[in-house]
This record gives sequence, structure tokens and C-alpha cells, in this order.
Amino acid sequence: MAIPTLKPMDLRKTQYGIPPESLKKRAADLSGITSVLVKELFPEIPDPLYPGSDLSAIRKETKRALDTVDLSKIKPGDNLNILGSHHGFTLLGGGAYAEMLKAIKDEVKKRTGTDNIRLRVGVGLRFREAEEYIKRFELDKYFEGKAIGIAPVDQPIEIETEIGPLYGIKKAYDAKWIIHAHNSDIREVHFHRLVDRILKPFGMSYARIETRSAYHHNLGPRGANFIARAIFESPFVKEKFIASVILRASPVGILGVDADNNIYDQSDRITIEIMQHYGKLIRLLNKIEKCVAVIDCPGPIPYTFAAGLIFANFLSANVDVFDLSLPLTPYSFYSEMAYDKKGNPRFPGVPPINPAIGAVVNNYSFKGYPSTFFAEHTPTIVVGQEMARLFELCEQNPEYMSHAVIAKDLDNAMNFAKKIAKTDNVIVFDGAQGGLNVSESLREFLLEKADQVKKEVEEILMPKWLKQRGIVLEANA
Amino acid sequence: MKKVTKYAVIDLEKCNGCKTCYYICPVLAIRMENKKASLIKEKCMGCGNCEQRCPQYAITMVPLSEPFLVGLYMNKFDQSKIMDICMKAKFHPDQVICFCTGTRAAEIAAAIIEGAQSPEEVSLKTGARTGCKVLCIEPILRLLRAAGIEPRKPNGYQWTGITSTLWEISEEVKKKYAARGFYFDSDKEFLDGNLAYELKKGGD
Repeated sequence: MAIPTLKPMDLRKTQYGIPPESLKKRAADLSGITSVLVKELFPEIPDPLYPGSDLSAIRKETKRALDTVDLSKIKPGDNLNILGSHHGFTLLGGGAYAEMLKAIKDEVKKRTGTDNIRLRVGVGLRFREAEEYIKRFELDKYFEGKAIGIAPVDQPIEIETEIGPLYGIKKAYDAKWIIHAHNSDIREVHFHRLVDRILKPFGMSYARIETRSAYHHNLGPRGANFIARAIFESPFVKEKFIASVILRASPVGILGVDADNNIYDQSDRITIEIMQHYGKLIRLLNKIEKCVAVIDCPGPIPYTFAAGLIFANFLSANVDVFDLSLPLTPYSFYSEMAYDKKGNPRFPGVPPINPAIGAVVNNYSFKGYPSTFFAEHTPTIVVGQEMARLFELCEQNPEYMSHAVIAKDLDNAMNFAKKIAKTDNVIVFDGAQGGLNVSESLREFLLEKADQVKKEVEEILMPKWLKQRGIVLEANA
Repeated sequence: MKKVTKYAVIDLEKCNGCKTCYYICPVLAIRMENKKASLIKEKCMGCGNCEQRCPQYAITMVPLSEPFLVGLYMNKFDQSKIMDICMKAKFHPDQVICFCTGTRAAEIAAAIIEGAQSPEEVSLKTGARTGCKVLCIEPILRLLRAAGIEPRKPNGYQWTGITSTLWEISEEVKKKYAARGFYFDSDKEFLDGNLAYELKKGGD
């Protein structure tokens, strides 16, 4: 009996995508597509808390995690900003992250007596995205009119750090206290290189353009995330910081909530967990020799999901992105800089975009992220005129369609992509939960390779990855 | 080259004169007239910053009937001057600065040679910094400084100041965080080595 596909992430109405009703067919409905569960590949990854239970489990878990956190500095009447990121809402439809934010508010209010609790949600390069999530999850109502989206072009505040002035978004820091409320999926390992992953929003979601630009241009491909640490280490931020509350994500779903007054202890714990779970899945994708990748998810191209990984992870899966002896990953902004006008590497040692990606079919994605580089380096087929027009009019992608072709519909796009890539292997980035929608041939291949990858990660790679980051596994057992 | 495909249209009924758009437009294409925002259409680069931050949702981006290109033709510029500015800022001229428009360091340097005295003027000449509006402000400030220009800050939040680079991190900071996976010296060697390689390649 054929194994059914997993349900792709629901589309939603947004100013960054074409209307959901315009999409004629999801990749999961293509003939020949089946699925493989993460638990079939790596049964040792724990069962998720969510999905599997309702959102009350997230609320209960947030309260449990906060029970051991010291909130005694916060006095009745004090104002406090819960700092969030749009990223959290992109996980599993966003409900779990929204519930964690609400539960933090309720718990802080109950334990400290203050009711002046605000929510500030940072964004990436789509400045209204946080507003859309706040509205969708009725967070403005829940925070009594004190929930807002903040963007990197908003009013700045100078923060003196060990490497000189950096700049935060004033509204992120306009309270006496802050609680950092983030999530732990691996996401942009090509940027943060899993060094201080939990701190990243201090250098990004809560930061101004100057800081984000310094991250991607000034500090180097492995040192970029030091920007986040420099800001967090500043007296200005440290004096406000109360705790970090993290939604623990994994390729199967949400594992729980971690809360701590010590962000570095927490970051070490979570780094290990990321390596154990996402590390294996990324290394498994490394074994794929050729395939067609289908983008079919509500998110900008590199942030579309498959079993909790993002497409950018697959773009760089041909190298070991965790290995810090490797300066450049195949995709990052430092890597984009490394190519000349003709698309050739400017110097030796530039790893190519994952050559296993024989073609990309862009069935559905958002505008609002510079993506021309992807179309320049992998044959790209965009499905339908409406998607093509979305990218043509996107100020961040004026040349994306100069490097892509348009197919009338998804079936024709797939036929063409398979011919170009010379393979029947297909992997779909559609936000399905707990597994991957793939072609039958790729399912068998991944199942065959998983044991070997598990052994390789646990016995050879993880000890190296941890050592490079100064993390002792036993100390975090 | 930047392709400008749309422009901002302000609904004066909705505009309450809060000046948000005026404070953030990266090319200073918005002025205040009679306590309302007003677009200088010939300067608008279609970046959408104003539309994305207007608290009143008073701005709409409208497709241009005739999109146009913004950028500099590089042949007319003295290449040694371009090289000089880029080297001082530690960029190879071929290095991409703006990921949205594909603008490279050489073109930013050319804009400066042609008279740009600020990030806003660089953007008007090259189109850089009018895509995502986030990622390329620092290299533009570094290139202006390399040319001996300390630009006057605009009357808004367009940009604030220049920040540190890898080449300026103190030994004390490097030593303090060396064990935690920050490879400052290795990254510096990597970037310097690549630049040296390219210069040699160019020389050959």
C-alpha cells in the first residue's frame, strides 16, 4: 500500500505572497510523491510535546520552565518587554510560539504583580510580518494593546559594546526589564554557525540596520554572530535582562520549553540538542546525490521548511556546515560576495551551492528576501505568471526572474525539472510536520542511509563540533 | 543596476503627518508639505520602506508603466581611483555590496568619485540600499570613509553611524572569547588572503 504524503503547511493570506486561492496544486498532491517520517529515520529523537497534544501543553510547559527562573527583580508597576521574533511564528503554523508568549505574560504577571507587560516582535526583511502574526493570534488584544511589530529601520538606540557602538531598535529596549522569548530550530546555521545560536536575535531581530549590516559584512563568515554576543554583553542590555525563554524545536515538532536566567548555560544545552536532532537530518541530506527541490511553503525561498529544516540548510548540505574549520558555507551573504559578475568564484575554496540540487521548482513562496543568487546558481522554474509577477515587482528581487523560467502549471514544471536534473528524486519544502514529502525513490534512499548518518554524527562529528565551540557534553548531561 | 518597478502613492486623507516615512526614506524622496507627506517622484526608488512602516497604512506601492534602470556605466571611471577607495575600505572592487541589486564595491566607489557625499546620494546614483534597505549600509559608510568623506547624518533614522570591522577587534576581546568558537583571526586571514590572491591574479 502506498504511503500517504504529509499535510503541507496551510497557506495564509499575506501581503508577501500570492492569494492562497491562486495556487492550483500543492506538491504533496503530485503523483509519485510519498513521505518519510523523521521517526522512521531517527527513532531516538524524542516524541514531540506538540503536535500530539493541544496548546494547553505548551502553556503548562512554559509555566514549568519558568518555575525555576528568578523573577524577583521585577516589582509591581515595573514595565517589561517580552522580546519575540517573527521566526517563532513560522514554526508549525505559529500557534505554539504564540501560546508560549501568552503564557510568559501570565506567569510574570502572576508572580511579580506587574501588569505593564509589553510584546515587541522583531522581523527580518518583511517589515509588516510581525504585525500580521500579532493580528492573526490576537496578541494585541491579549497584551491589552501593548503588542507591536518592530523593524530594523525604526528609531535607533546606540548601545556601547566591547567592539564599539552598535545599534538596537529603541522600542525593543524601552522598558526597565526584558525577557528574551525565542525558539531553538537550527534555521540560519549558515549565518550563526551554531555559535551562540540562542543569542542571535540580539544581533538581528532586535537590532537596527547598521548592526545587521555589520553582521553580514564586517565580522567575517564565522565571527558574525559575535555581534549578538557583543550586544548582549553590553551593560545596557545586561542591566535589563531577566531571562531567556526558548521554545525547544526539533525536526519532529516542539519538545518543550527551556527557561533560564543564564543564557549561556541555556545556549550550550540547546546547542547539543540541535546537533543531536537537526545535525543528523542535515547530514542525511548531505548523502543525496541528485534531486529536484520543490518550494511550496508560506515563507521566503531560503526559509521554506521540510521536517523542520529550511531550504537554506539544503543549499549548503554538500559541506559540513557545523565544522568551523570551514570558513565559508555554500550559501551565506559572505558566500554571495565571493562570486564575480559572471557567477564564477573569485578565489579558491568557495564551496558551490549544493550540486545535488539539479533544479528548483518554485510553486509557492513569499517575496521579500534577496533570492536572485539562488536562481543564478540552480536552474529555477517558477510556476505560473502570478508567482513570476510577484518576484518581478519585488524590490529585493529585481533580477530573480531574469534567471528563471516560467511553467504553466506544477506538473509541467516537474516534468521539465526532472529532465534538467536527470533524476526522479524529489524533495518538497512544504512545511509538512514530522517528516519529509519526497519521491518514492528518495524515501528508500534516505531510509537506507539513516543508520550510517546516526553513527557518523554521534561518534565522529559531534565530538568535533562541540570541541570547536568549547562545549563539554558531560557538563550538560 | 537597479530596476525600479514601482513608486509610492500617498493617500493624503489617511496621512496624519507623523513623519515616519520622511524619517526612513533611504533616498530622501519624501518631504513634509502642509503637515502631510509628499513624494518627490523623480527620486523615488520604489523600495517600499515608507509603505511598510506607515502607521496609518496611507502609502501604496504602484507599478510603474515604464520601469527604469539606475546605475553607473563603469568604463568612464579611473580604475586606479576605484581600486584605491576599495582597498582602503578592504573590499575587492568585484565584491557584491548590495545583494538585492547586485551592486559591487567598484560601482559604489565610482558613485563617490562622481560626487556622492552620503549614503543617500550613493543610493540615488547606483540603486544600492533600495532593496531590502537593511544589509548594505555599513559597507557604503566604509567606502565613503575610505574616500575621506564623513557624511552628514540626515534628519531622520536613515542611518546612524559606522560600526567596527574584523580588522579592528582588540586582542583582548579576541582572547576573551577565543574558546567559544569565534574564529576572528582565521576569518581575517581568510579575507585578507582572498584579497591578496585576487590582486595577484589581476596583476598577472
